[in-house]
Amino acid sequence: MTTDAIKAQLTLARPLRRKAAEGIGLNSAAGHLVMVLLSIVCLFPVYWMVATSLRPANAIFETSLWPTTMSLENYTYALDSIPILRMLINTLVVSALTTVVQLLTGLLAAYAFARWRFRFDSLVYTAVALTWLVPFQVVMIPNYLLIAQMGLLDTISALILPNFASALAILLLAQAMRSFPKEVVEAARMDGAGSWRILWGVMVPNLRGTIASLAILIFISTWNEYFWPLLLTRTADNSVIQIGIQMFMTSEGNQWGPLMAASTLASLPVLVIYIVLQRQVIQSFMKSGIR
Amino acid sequence: MAIAASAPVQRRRINQARFSPWLYLAPAILTLVVWIYWPLVDAFRLSFFQWNMLPTSPQTFVGWDNYQRIFALPKFWQALRNTGIYVLGLLPLAVLIPLALAIYTHDLSPRLRNIYRAIIFVPMIIAPVVAAAVWRWLLDPNYGMVNALIEWFGAEPVKFLSDPKVAIWTIIAITGWKLIGFSTLILSAANANINPALLEAARMDGASKWEIIRDIRLPLLSSSVLFLVMMTILLGAQWSFGYINVLTGGGPLGATTNIYYLLWDFGFSTMSVGWGSAAAVILFLGFGALAFVLFRLIDRYSFHDN
Repeated sequence: MTTDAIKAQLTLARPLRRKAAEGIGLNSAAGHLVMVLLSIVCLFPVYWMVATSLRPANAIFETSLWPTTMSLENYTYALDSIPILRMLINTLVVSALTTVVQLLTGLLAAYAFARWRFRFDSLVYTAVALTWLVPFQVVMIPNYLLIAQMGLLDTISALILPNFASALAILLLAQAMRSFPKEVVEAARMDGAGSWRILWGVMVPNLRGTIASLAILIFISTWNEYFWPLLLTRTADNSVIQIGIQMFMTSEGNQWGPLMAASTLASLPVLVIYIVLQRQVIQSFMKSGIR
Repeated sequence: MAIAASAPVQRRRINQARFSPWLYLAPAILTLVVWIYWPLVDAFRLSFFQWNMLPTSPQTFVGWDNYQRIFALPKFWQALRNTGIYVLGLLPLAVLIPLALAIYTHDLSPRLRNIYRAIIFVPMIIAPVVAAAVWRWLLDPNYGMVNALIEWFGAEPVKFLSDPKVAIWTIIAITGWKLIGFSTLILSAANANINPALLEAARMDGASKWEIIRDIRLPLLSSSVLFLVMMTILLGAQWSFGYINVLTGGGPLGATTNIYYLLWDFGFSTMSVGWGSAAAVILFLGFGALAFVLFRLIDRYSFHDN
């Protein structure tokens, strides 16, 4: 190619590029407008929840964007009428235990899939993956009956038991372990490390990122879980916070102030996690798909 | 001597390879069998019995009666039709609009884009019950903000949750509100992964913006789009379950019932284990067949970058 040809191309390209830049400027203004609108739609309901919860009872129906007078009346009312603190602690216990146990069973099972070839291994793997597709509503009656037989209705442990393992944790961890360099595992084995020590001494420390993002995901989804507790709990003291919220919505009418206060309290821990670990939370949700 | 020493080691390793995986798998498999596979079998068995869930009352074998009754029930067909409406109604919110947004906003500055990302993701982490409560408040016919806005424009207030014609669309919109940011992020990520050299080459060849979208972006996004479409078809009606339960209870006049809600209704409102289980079996088989077809389609029709 001669220098002339290059020059010609450069001169040609220049006006083109300028035109493209202008296009982007205009487009991005419109793009911002669209995104700002979408942001408002996504954020306003959450803002309105907090704003309503802070209005005094006689100003609940005000429509000013910012509460003219603020009060914690709704919160004290909500705390007095149902054992919210107890419910929050229950939810915390259930979520934390579910997260730890699900990670444990997930790590063990994933390690088996990643480390060995064994009889029926792909069959078992498929069977694990398929459980992800079984809708909760299909197995809910037998599960309920089983819990009833075990005498665990209205207990915290009944909320945790069926979630001792999940296809999601097993599959995600198995994927991560499979892409783990084989040489490192082999080297550890040469040093005489058994499979147990390789798992906890080599694999787990190196998979911290995956484990942490999975932990966030399990914790948040367990915290937000509603149907299994709704089926099982009978008394407010053994309930989780999601059930507590529902207690302010009755067919006779809604107590909007306390309802918004309870909703805010229920969302607070998750929102705090989100604000602190925003990038990791988004990533962990995107990696795992929706569910 | 070296050989003699290595033989037991070898044997131990083989034995280990035989049993260790199962030891590691045991806790997970036990849980999945007890809480998913066994219940599936049990649901199948119970679908042939009549029983009201009381341990003292007898289980009577009724053969295929439960299935026949369900298929004869207008409520079942209404729920099935509504399930279809839920899925179709969600597709634009969970796939089409996010696709447009992802393509439209791909050249925003990274700083601002991160802020938008953080904001539009918020509905995803909000608990379904909280979302239901907040929307119930926003959509209240007398004091809700949405109706205040509608009246400010001079229109009649809408009974979002108690008008049988409107209610199902309200539930769909709330379900979509939870998902729209998430889908947009998935598609934006896929869009950002497109090799810039491809776009540059097309631009050099004089392709217009629209041609680039149609011939390069859309085909390369197709696997993400198919993934979201599949998720919506398989899980769409399930996502709306929480809002139905909290906001409408399947009403008014069954207008918002879908197949998942019907299961719940059979099992725990009418306490009819046989009907609930038969509906569960029908749902499971239908769901399985649909999943199978969709996975095959995705295998066949998704394009890849390389």
